[in-house]
Amino acid sequence: MASSILGIGQSALTAAQVGLNTAGHNIANAATPGYTRQVVVQGAAMAQDFGFGFLGQGAEISTVKRIYNEFLSTQVRSAQTSKSGVDIYYAQIRQIDNMLADPTSGLSPALQNFFSGIQEVASNPSLIPARQAALSSAESLVARFQGMANRLSEISDGVNSQIVSSVNEINTYAVQIAQLNDSIGRAQRATGQPPNDLLDQRDQLILDLGKEIKATVVKQGDGDYNVFIGNGQPLVVGTKTFTVFNISSPTNPEKIEVAYKNSNGSTVVVGEAGLVGGKLGGLVEFRSKTLEPAQNALGRIAIGLGSTFNAQHQLGYDLNGVAGKAFFNVPAPYVGPSANNTGTAVLGATISNVNALTTSDYQVSYDGTNFTVTRLSDNTSSVYASFPQTVDGVDISLTSGAAAAGDIFLIRPTAKGASGLSLAITDPADVAAASQTGAVGDNRNALLLGGLQTSKTLGNGTATYQGAFSQVVSQVGNKTRELELTSSASANLLSELTTSMQSESGVNLDEEATNLLRYQQAYQAAAKSMQIAGELFDMLLSIGR
Amino acid sequence: MRISTQSMFESGALRLGELQTSLVKTQQQIGTGRRILSPSDDPVAAARALEVNQSQSINTQYGRNRQYATNTLTTVEGTLSSVTGLLQDVRDIVVSATNGALTDTERAFQATALNSRLDELLGLANSRDAMGNYVFSGFQTGTSAFVKTSTGATYQGDAGQQLLQVEATRQMAVNNSGQSVFQGGGQDVFKTLTDLVTLLQTPGAPAPATLTTLMGDVDLALDNILTVRASVGSRLQELDSLNEFGEDRGLQYSQILSELQDLDYTQALTKLSQQQFTLEAAQRSFASISKLSLFNFI
Repeated sequence: MASSILGIGQSALTAAQVGLNTAGHNIANAATPGYTRQVVVQGAAMAQDFGFGFLGQGAEISTVKRIYNEFLSTQVRSAQTSKSGVDIYYAQIRQIDNMLADPTSGLSPALQNFFSGIQEVASNPSLIPARQAALSSAESLVARFQGMANRLSEISDGVNSQIVSSVNEINTYAVQIAQLNDSIGRAQRATGQPPNDLLDQRDQLILDLGKEIKATVVKQGDGDYNVFIGNGQPLVVGTKTFTVFNISSPTNPEKIEVAYKNSNGSTVVVGEAGLVGGKLGGLVEFRSKTLEPAQNALGRIAIGLGSTFNAQHQLGYDLNGVAGKAFFNVPAPYVGPSANNTGTAVLGATISNVNALTTSDYQVSYDGTNFTVTRLSDNTSSVYASFPQTVDGVDISLTSGAAAAGDIFLIRPTAKGASGLSLAITDPADVAAASQTGAVGDNRNALLLGGLQTSKTLGNGTATYQGAFSQVVSQVGNKTRELELTSSASANLLSELTTSMQSESGVNLDEEATNLLRYQQAYQAAAKSMQIAGELFDMLLSIGR
Repeated sequence: MRISTQSMFESGALRLGELQTSLVKTQQQIGTGRRILSPSDDPVAAARALEVNQSQSINTQYGRNRQYATNTLTTVEGTLSSVTGLLQDVRDIVVSATNGALTDTERAFQATALNSRLDELLGLANSRDAMGNYVFSGFQTGTSAFVKTSTGATYQGDAGQQLLQVEATRQMAVNNSGQSVFQGGGQDVFKTLTDLVTLLQTPGAPAPATLTTLMGDVDLALDNILTVRASVGSRLQELDSLNEFGEDRGLQYSQILSELQDLDYTQALTKLSQQQFTLEAAQRSFASISKLSLFNFI
């Protein structure tokens, strides 16, 4: 009997010790990211039949388990993924928003000064200083276009480098998750008990991966996590990883894309549709929905201004009575044949009608018989059997060679407009202010040039240069505002979900303090029962003396 | 509900962060006096402000154009006023020449006087503005308007009329071709004067009929000048009223811009003190709640 009391006391002592350990472990990890609190699952040991009834044999620890809610965890992960995507989009677009913020450094003052300069020429057509001032203000307008284009291309470079580092992170996480799959599997097979801290680490890695890109986790029967990203592209299967990597876009070397190797070894570019959520998704979406349209819109103003101004300028005569030359050098559209093209076709693109220009890019693909031209902003396609064709003010022609089926070309009519605009004349006398030759006081062409400021020459006659710029400001402003709100909404959602997950899985120090007290007392009581067992044994021995 | 210690700290920090962000934003608004710090603060107003800014700038430019127009027209008006006086002198001389008692010598004096008037008139017709442009040469502002010939003067300019954009929908002519001013209305003042000089230099009393015809030509020239002056005067007057209109419009634009962009300080300062109060309350409550722990008692 006494030995049984000792045994019971010992089991209670062990249970209390495990309890104290667990509480201590919980306290130690109260601030560890991804840690879920652990609890001791303890039960009564199998009772022994003594004929007169069953006598308990003390306590038994069946396991130490983590309090983990898979459903909430999935919700937190998905909220985290969308929040990371929105946050990075917001952080990027704010750069453009801030660039447009200062009313004194935007495009508007430069545009206004330029036309004031032209008006001054109209008022003083034969005055060289007035003509020089007009040229100087034209130079600063060109510089402003270039400055803004440079800033946007810096932002684009930033996006590229962030995409590269995000892809590196994804690969690192993939390796770590695969390693944990391995460790967890071995630990579970060896002991039959859950390795709680490893499980927490793996869930935290999945959460971190979700900050980079939307990831789908499929839990296997043996406890492994298989992770898929994009359109079901596997990243981790069991202990095996499939890396993603960066390549330059085949049609636009300035653009970094995400790709993976197919099972047959060919490189597959993960399109925008495949990169949703997370930083990577946010960056790619920012690039295609805001950055490129803003670059194109600014380019369209530059090209529109350059072309319409040139056209009017060439109708006039300069101070020497010579017919007006081009005032601006207007850059041509960018045509990027895919690096994977097998045909020899060289496409050409020229702008024939600036009024019809959009702010979109276009993709030309050849299926062996027909060319399909797709406007990428709304995916509207037109099919042509041959070139030349005019699409939205752009003349597309087959300069030389022949296309092969599957060939792809990217046409960006206005992307280089702002960075490529330059001044074509340097001599103040070359400003064609007159409408007739040999009339130094004739200001009629200058008046017509000045009138362009308020003419609706863009967007099919809907916008002035300034109006087109205001549209950019309004679009970026609205999108930034929308993202600001979405960002704070998704932060709230994440915070709420995290709080409910934490309310189940998180450590509460007061609770652990209570546990410490409880197990301390249990330990003391167990020790007391062992002491009593000892005293009983002593009593028996003293009888024999 | 069970709450984890981490959640308590995190939500506290999150809330404090939010409050600080909005406080800083209000402070920035007050610091700059601008309600819209970036277009996202009010995209519609930001875009609208750009448009109004352009209208304001154009309005200012029209004001400058009107200044140029006023300067040129004032030069024209000043010159034509001198021309009027000169022609009245000529008229007086011609009237006195009708006196049959005059000797050839006296008429020769008159001829000399008229000749110098002719040169003076030619000088006036070849007036330049402050920039050195000939004001009566049409578009040929670098060429003198008239050059003297044996029978009068030849116009070297053209019929070009320089227009200035003085309002959104108003282009105003700021010069008149010398031809229309000095050789319009069925006369040629230079020819008339040259003829008068020749007539008075010729010995013997001039035929009264010839004098009367020439006198009529001088009157026609005067009429023509006065007509041009009337039109210049009315343009100057129009410029005056356009200036008022433009200034008025400029004020309106400034007002609209101010409404779109400027900060309401009273409102902003009230908001600032409210936000300060909330932040302080949040800080205090967080500090006191975070001190509560069972560990303090065991």
